Amino acid sequence: MTHPLILEIKGNALDDGPGIRSVIFFKGCPLSCTWCHNPEGKRIDAEIGFDAAVCVGCDTCMGVCPENALSRDNSFFIDRSACTFCFTCADACPSGALSRIGEAMGVDEILNLVTRDKPFYDTSGGGVTLSGGEPAMFMDFTGALLHALKDRGIHTLLETCGLFDLDRFNRLLYPMLDIIYFDIKLFDPRAHARYCGVSNTTILANFKALHARAREGGIPVIPRTPLIPGITDTPDNIRAIADFLKECGVSEARLLPYHPLWQEKNRKIGVPPDTDGSPAMDKWLDNTVAKECREVFEAAGIRTG
Amino acid sequence: MLFKTDPAAPLHTGEKSTKSLIHLLVRTLLHTVAASFNFRPGLRRYLKTDSGWFDFTVGIRTESGSVATAVRFREGKVRVLREIPADCDITLIFASDGAVRKLLQATPTEQIFMLMKSDLRTVGNQSYMNLFFFYLSLLLHKKQKKLMAREKNDSRKALQKSSPTANTAFSDELRRRSVSRMRAESRDPGVRYLADPYLSDYSLADFPRIGSFLETHFTVTAEVCPERPRLVTDWYKQNGFETDGNGDPWMPELRQAYAFKYLMENRRPIIRKNDLIAGTTTTKEIGVVVYPDSHGTMIWSELLTVPHRCLNPYGIDRETVDLLHKEIFPYWIHRNFKEWVREKYGSPLCQAIDERFAVYFIWKQAALSHTIPDFPKILRLGAKGIIDEIRGQQAASEDDTGTQKTVLEAMALCLEGLVAYGENLASQAETDAAAETEPKRKAELAHLANICRQVPAQPARTLDEAVNAIWITWIGLHMENTNAGLSLGRLDQWLQPYFEADMAALETEKQRQDYITHAIEMVACFYMRCTDHLPLTPDLANWYFGGSSSDQAITLGGVTPQGTDAVCDMTYIFLKVTEMLSIRDPNVNARFHPGINSDAYLKRLCEVNLITAATPSLHNDAAVMTSLEEFNYAPEDLRNWSATGCVEPTLSGRHIGHTNFQMLNMVAALEMAIHDGYHPLMKWKIGPDTGAVEKGDFKTFDRFFDAFCEQFGFLIDQSVEYNNMLGIAHQYIRPTPLLSSLIGDCIEKGKDVTHGGARYNSSGAACIGLADVTDSLMVIKKLVFEDNRVGFAELKKAVDDNFANDPALYAMVTKKVPLFGSGSDEAVEMADRVTRFAHDRYKSHTNYRGGPYTAGFWSMSNHVIYGTLSGALPSGKLAGKPFTPGLTPEPHASANLLDNIRDVARLNPRHMNNNIAFNVKVVPGGDDRRENIIERMFSYVKTYFDMGGMQMQMNVVTSETLKDAMAHPENYRNLLVRISGYNAYFVTLNSDLQKELIERAEYGL
Repeated sequence: MTHPLILEIKGNALDDGPGIRSVIFFKGCPLSCTWCHNPEGKRIDAEIGFDAAVCVGCDTCMGVCPENALSRDNSFFIDRSACTFCFTCADACPSGALSRIGEAMGVDEILNLVTRDKPFYDTSGGGVTLSGGEPAMFMDFTGALLHALKDRGIHTLLETCGLFDLDRFNRLLYPMLDIIYFDIKLFDPRAHARYCGVSNTTILANFKALHARAREGGIPVIPRTPLIPGITDTPDNIRAIADFLKECGVSEARLLPYHPLWQEKNRKIGVPPDTDGSPAMDKWLDNTVAKECREVFEAAGIRTG
Repeated sequence: MLFKTDPAAPLHTGEKSTKSLIHLLVRTLLHTVAASFNFRPGLRRYLKTDSGWFDFTVGIRTESGSVATAVRFREGKVRVLREIPADCDITLIFASDGAVRKLLQATPTEQIFMLMKSDLRTVGNQSYMNLFFFYLSLLLHKKQKKLMAREKNDSRKALQKSSPTANTAFSDELRRRSVSRMRAESRDPGVRYLADPYLSDYSLADFPRIGSFLETHFTVTAEVCPERPRLVTDWYKQNGFETDGNGDPWMPELRQAYAFKYLMENRRPIIRKNDLIAGTTTTKEIGVVVYPDSHGTMIWSELLTVPHRCLNPYGIDRETVDLLHKEIFPYWIHRNFKEWVREKYGSPLCQAIDERFAVYFIWKQAALSHTIPDFPKILRLGAKGIIDEIRGQQAASEDDTGTQKTVLEAMALCLEGLVAYGENLASQAETDAAAETEPKRKAELAHLANICRQVPAQPARTLDEAVNAIWITWIGLHMENTNAGLSLGRLDQWLQPYFEADMAALETEKQRQDYITHAIEMVACFYMRCTDHLPLTPDLANWYFGGSSSDQAITLGGVTPQGTDAVCDMTYIFLKVTEMLSIRDPNVNARFHPGINSDAYLKRLCEVNLITAATPSLHNDAAVMTSLEEFNYAPEDLRNWSATGCVEPTLSGRHIGHTNFQMLNMVAALEMAIHDGYHPLMKWKIGPDTGAVEKGDFKTFDRFFDAFCEQFGFLIDQSVEYNNMLGIAHQYIRPTPLLSSLIGDCIEKGKDVTHGGARYNSSGAACIGLADVTDSLMVIKKLVFEDNRVGFAELKKAVDDNFANDPALYAMVTKKVPLFGSGSDEAVEMADRVTRFAHDRYKSHTNYRGGPYTAGFWSMSNHVIYGTLSGALPSGKLAGKPFTPGLTPEPHASANLLDNIRDVARLNPRHMNNNIAFNVKVVPGGDDRRENIIERMFSYVKTYFDMGGMQMQMNVVTSETLKDAMAHPENYRNLLVRISGYNAYFVTLNSDLQKELIERAEYGL
């Protein structure tokens, strides 16, 4: 069983499903969306991060780096082509400005951490949300984790990009899930390939299948669409998605307004900003745009509350 | 001990020491003072009391002796002396010449801070210091007022500059919270008559009478009232204090009783315009009560300037100034708790430590009033019924000395005084009714007259009578005892039978609905009555106990003495009033018993907390009872506990627990352990030798922990010693027979509460800085002793330098060590280790009433001032910065509120038997539905309680809102905040306290 790396376990999450939840962020994703809000979750391997705002300038790291990969002349501070990811610098850094991104964690370790908050799940109707990255990339591990969570009576929710082998999904994950949040980002397969790195054919098929199952008494599958300025929030795309969802018989969906905080996260892992020169990408999504998109969905009979 | 800071060092500087230029300056100034008083008749008249001349000497010197002079007031003459005489009454000792210079140029607030920061200390009777400062104020008050005006202006300007326009979106959001109100999803078994227990149909607009009282509350400035001190001082002057008319020593209880009776018979019976409840604590609309037998003389120095000070100004009229200065205060210069101890015990060390401000404060110098009277008894029997009981006890007494009988006589006299006041109120109501032309009000006044003919003398028969009886008794208790923390107890429980009886007698649904409306209005009137008085707060105390009222705690819900669900109609009526008024007094506390009380009740507590932003304070009934298990209290008494003052448990009507006998700065003990017994701010080697960090005396962490405990233990022992001395002072200066008659077993024992007459006796401490101490110990343990990342001496040096030269180390201590509140087992164990020591050490002492000491971990407002008076800490707290409130974790301990909640819940309640205060700042998202927000608040509290957490209090307000309120107070006059245990109006707080609230961690809902 492949042990995925875990980015973070975020407690007291109030926006990732019902009640008070813990969100487990997996590292590694089969998609590569240009706007990804958790860019440190794209790659499957451990990375090194540098947060200039936290650095106190003590230069302890420079003294310990065996590759001389650190320099204040480098705007990213770390020369990642020279870095061997030994993380000596991160261990020595007193402020946490240098950090290891991605920790290998076993099922038991995760379980111990999230079970501490079970009393909060119980009083609030909450539970554990798997997110990422893409938890379904690690079917065996995720299945084992979900199994363990269900054994403890914990409500489970999966946030997925939808790209996975449906048979294995149905066998290994589905029986242990209570809700699925399923991303439908772009309807046009070519646009999807352009902005997310792969076609969406499998994704749409998976959604159709899972949603059909939901309508036959299976677990709820809630589609979610991130509203990315000029990419996904276009009238064409929103209408196409709404039509598709309507055709599937969907009555409830979520629209997730864009925010630009991911750019700073990208910097920390050494990725230069890539916004196609669109100024809208530097701002929080305009409220009126979000409202218009919601209206398209509502007109198709799909609640977005 | 270092000679130069030893308070016991000789005062007169006989040895030759070189005098400085400042010495000459001081002498010149004193000569000017002397000449002014000697030659200007307008000033000279102030040298006289109503019975002779003021006669005292003030010494002024520096620690080194570079300044040493004195000024003597005698026989109406003022003289500057060359040397400080040995019999000097009060000596002001400055740290240095520079400190003298600084004082002369300082603003009033800066002068306060100089005193608190040990630039200046005093030896001798502080009443004389206040009198001397009053004299200086007579010369300088115009300048002082100008400086105060400038201070006020400057800070206003700075705030307005930082935020020129008010953001009304914030203030509007707060106001809008009361608009949408939930309906109860179910009814508790004890709710007999309320169809919707949440009473969601009612709003303040339904009660115009209450609206106008609220307006008064927020617009009228409190005034110093001389009535109580004048009447009691008159009586003592006539009848003697130490000895009676025959020259025989007074039995203190009897003396107090006669004086009290005289006061109650002669004070003005006032029925406030439009009120449904008779009686007032003062003759003013909002009055400041003066207790010259406790801390009253502290206001002497401010008599001319108190209306002009920046924080919490009081009005005071010319006659009151003259009365207090000439007739009242002179009588009490020696006759108050603090000075009595100084004289009786020869300026003990334990008192000198207290008077340096940085380490502990013993509340008994002001009050011993943190308790809950047995209201059900006076409702059931009436004062006359209790007198009958007393007479019976007197007849049965087998005490040959007659002491018991005399003590019982004193109680009876006090109750007679209470009865007389009730009768006077009845007559006044009749007079007012006769003069009233408006028919509805006329009827109300006639009704009030009937009520006061019945109570408090006779048993209460209706809710109206019961509420009036409680209020009139409350006035009596406050005429006897300082208004500091005296608390109301379980009023919902005690009033429910009267409410039920009244309702049962009604015939139609309409009548019952109207009566519920009346009951709400009655309780609202009662809340507003509780705001009619304020404690006398010297300006210095505005920085110590900022914005505090007298903290009259009410306790709701929980279980009955038999252990069943106590939530009833009146619980929800009190909650409705709490929600509608959103005022700081009374301080509302709610008990929640997991497994017994309903979710609907807890959700209502959360909704009231959301609407009011800060109240009620929430207690886990089961955990509080567990914390008290060691005392083997009778179960029915234990289940009848109420919060007192801030949060502390008192067994209602049976228990003198003086639950706020002190505020103790635990961080001072830590600083002393790091400095081998030396306190850096006081520059005083005060504690025992426990080892020097630089000499490598600490080979293991446990060695250092022992050193900390030894210093902590030393401070506990000293504070307990002072408390016991002050307790003896109370027995002599101000026993409280009226209170004793309302505390279980005093009558049976024939003993005053100050002598241990109560069934249960204890004294409770507030230990301050638990998170700061725990985190500092964790840093030392992990970084120095386990990971060897820094040497102890190196860490100490960084701490001494306020981390100015070592940003990497600063980053490491704040980021690389698991802190209390981060979910670390080790940090929780460390906190438990500290609380266990505190608990055990306090418990090893017995108080002067024969009871144990208890330890609590809440801080009132002292986490801010003690932070100001502390240096940097190994935890990374910087010099002068506040500690966290109560035992709340550091904001950076974890980004996850649940870690905080879980860690606090995991602490062992058995070490915390004087309760805790755990602050949580939560803020609702803009577009969330009321139900969702309440659901989340409910989940936090419910889970915390399920996990065993004792107490929690939520401020539901954003930092941005608080910042706007700081700059634009006019939009936030009723913005309520929880400090640590008590409520205050944010806009009345000192700026340090305001900033602390703003900087608290904030969690979204």
